Amino acid sequence: MKILGCFKVVPDLDLIVEEDWNKKNQSYVDTGYAKLVWNCFDEGALEMMLRLSDLSEGLNVVYKLSALTIGRQKTEGFLKTLYALGFSEGVRICVETEEDILFSPEMVSEGIANYVKKVEEQDVIITGIQSSDGSNKKTPYLLAEKLEWPCITQVVGMEPMDEDHLQVTAQVPGGYMVRQVKTPCVLAVGNAPCAYLRIPTLKDKMKLGKRPVTQLMPEELGMVEAGESVQLIGLNPIDRKRNTVIIEGDSPEEKARHLYEKYLKGRLSML
Amino acid sequence: MAIISREQIVEGLVKILGEEQVITDEQVLKESSLDRYRKYEQVCEVYTQPIPAAVVYVKDTQEVADVLAFANENEINVVPRTGHSAIEGGLETALKDSVVIDGSTMNKVIKVDEYNMQVTCQCGVPLQELDDMLRERGYTTGHSPQSKPLAQIGGLVATRSIGQFSTLYGGIEDMIVGMEAVFPNGKICRIKNVPRRAAGPDIRHIICGNEGAICFITEVTLKLFKWQPENNRYIGYKLDDEHMKLGFDCLREVMVEGYRPSFARLYDAADAQQHFSAWLEEGKAILIWMAEGPANITPAMEEGIKKLMSKHPELEEVDPALIEKWYSGLNWGPEEIAQEKEEIRATQNIGITTEVSGSWDNIYEIYKTACDRILEEVPDMTLMGGHSSHSYINGTNMYFVYYYNIVDCAPEEEINKYHDRINQIICEQVIKYGGSIVHHHGLGKARAKYVTQEYGSSYYMLKTLKQAFDPNGIMNMGTLIPLRK
Repeated sequence: MKILGCFKVVPDLDLIVEEDWNKKNQSYVDTGYAKLVWNCFDEGALEMMLRLSDLSEGLNVVYKLSALTIGRQKTEGFLKTLYALGFSEGVRICVETEEDILFSPEMVSEGIANYVKKVEEQDVIITGIQSSDGSNKKTPYLLAEKLEWPCITQVVGMEPMDEDHLQVTAQVPGGYMVRQVKTPCVLAVGNAPCAYLRIPTLKDKMKLGKRPVTQLMPEELGMVEAGESVQLIGLNPIDRKRNTVIIEGDSPEEKARHLYEKYLKGRLSML
Repeated sequence: MAIISREQIVEGLVKILGEEQVITDEQVLKESSLDRYRKYEQVCEVYTQPIPAAVVYVKDTQEVADVLAFANENEINVVPRTGHSAIEGGLETALKDSVVIDGSTMNKVIKVDEYNMQVTCQCGVPLQELDDMLRERGYTTGHSPQSKPLAQIGGLVATRSIGQFSTLYGGIEDMIVGMEAVFPNGKICRIKNVPRRAAGPDIRHIICGNEGAICFITEVTLKLFKWQPENNRYIGYKLDDEHMKLGFDCLREVMVEGYRPSFARLYDAADAQQHFSAWLEEGKAILIWMAEGPANITPAMEEGIKKLMSKHPELEEVDPALIEKWYSGLNWGPEEIAQEKEEIRATQNIGITTEVSGSWDNIYEIYKTACDRILEEVPDMTLMGGHSSHSYINGTNMYFVYYYNIVDCAPEEEINKYHDRINQIICEQVIKYGGSIVHHHGLGKARAKYVTQEYGSSYYMLKTLKQAFDPNGIMNMGTLIPLRK
């Protein structure tokens, strides 16, 4: 079974300084200095693929794991990490800057769909439900639509069955739904219990991580045309500031009393 | 070991401090039996060290004196503690029925003396709060270790801490003025605040760096400096990793020419990728300086450093704005520690640091041979690298940074299989080439076993100090001087 993990490399937003979030009249936030990390949902999805492969040991199903990302040259290090972890194919759709695809899930899904249609057929595509920077939350849906495949969202687990089926667990309101799914399908991973990707050893990196990454251009996959239908014209932050009062007092007891008398007593009396 | 029972220890402490200040909650005791040296045991909640009899919170110097006198009389091992951010085993309770004396409730800033440029505070004042308060007034302690959001003044002095701006301001030993400390017999000693004196040996250094093995630090006066971040200038260059030797030489050139930037750093390629992966190519090391001080000095320093570096075609200048923004996200706090624990649990991959120092003529060999040996001899390594972050006229430090996967190993065994083994290799290489095995974390218990090799013939002085001030052996036994098997 051929499984393609689609992931995005994103800046670590915790490292963005406050002034960069608050700049007005610009259609992007400068994240160029923040270190690069796996998009958290994609990271869970990739680890889930490896766990599926671990579970298949001794079974009659062979999983061929591939990974695809759209990004700058810098993202190839991430693909090589996946090589070191046992992925057999790494593909980068080359863009000079991720800003062009940040708010373009149509373009992203078009590129992935055309890769599967024109370059390398797949049985399953796994991706995170959204990215931490664009947060469009549309790519897996659009991808499934373009491929005319079923799409299961909020996936939290996968187990092997046979060459044409997977057992997929998805989170639904109030519980988990476990289904037998026939391939092909698109799986969108949400809050996976395995949120972190395992780390390859330096020896595995030396042994397996040197293979070249397959590079494709957006034009080859029809991405440019797909991006023309939606254009970003503005970004406006939501003001989430709240008033703050610091309660002064000589002791915790005094501060607690003040909190109760002034702020809580009245509210509690209304319950 | 104590000559009275665990129950009698607790009873005695309650008589001195009252029930509220004596904590015997099992979970608190377990968590107080170790520090972040046994990070994996901490994450797995496996406790291999003797569980202390109590953790006591002291409110003033007299309480510290009373508790120490009680412990001294009854030969109870005590472990002084403030911010609980130690990472070399200094806070491990190595003996049965120890008592942890926690000074974090002694957290008053006693006096900010802007005219004499010094601030006096109790041992439990958090450095972050102190420096934030001072910065609002236009001052700084100049002390900014990565543990700033966690560490408190007593522990910082006890471990001879150093901060990111040390190349300008020095280590904590250069910042301390006077101090108050309590010795195991309950004797309270105050060292007065003067700019300098030549009245015999500098006895502040019996206290500074004692790691709780000689006395309990209750009060510290630190120097103040003007805080003028608007004048800061950042300078950065990238270079191929194979030119690390040149990188050390560049750090040296800047120091030797007489410049005093506040930070001066050299990251190797492996470590650099952890910080600068957004824009730094793999395989590239990086050199960084920050000039800090008056407005007419920092541009001159920037110009001078750039002129020196222009002689090296191997260096490529980087946008200073990238360095400035990286610098704003350097410190570690409780959120990062919580996230790290989660990651370790999920991936069984752990990251550790070990800091050493060397002269200009041996630091590269220390760095290179230790890295090579670790990669050769220790299994499951996922990252091996490091950086120099504190430079002096005669040498610099090396901060080894390493990660490994914990494979087929019980939590109790991790320290032997990986962490101690790596520490051993680093210490062996440092001793071989003539550096110091500890730059600023303290010896703790983790590296106490190498103390005689570190000190050589001067070990006599350290041992005599310990015996003289702590004849009953109650002060943080196993730290500085290893326990006899």
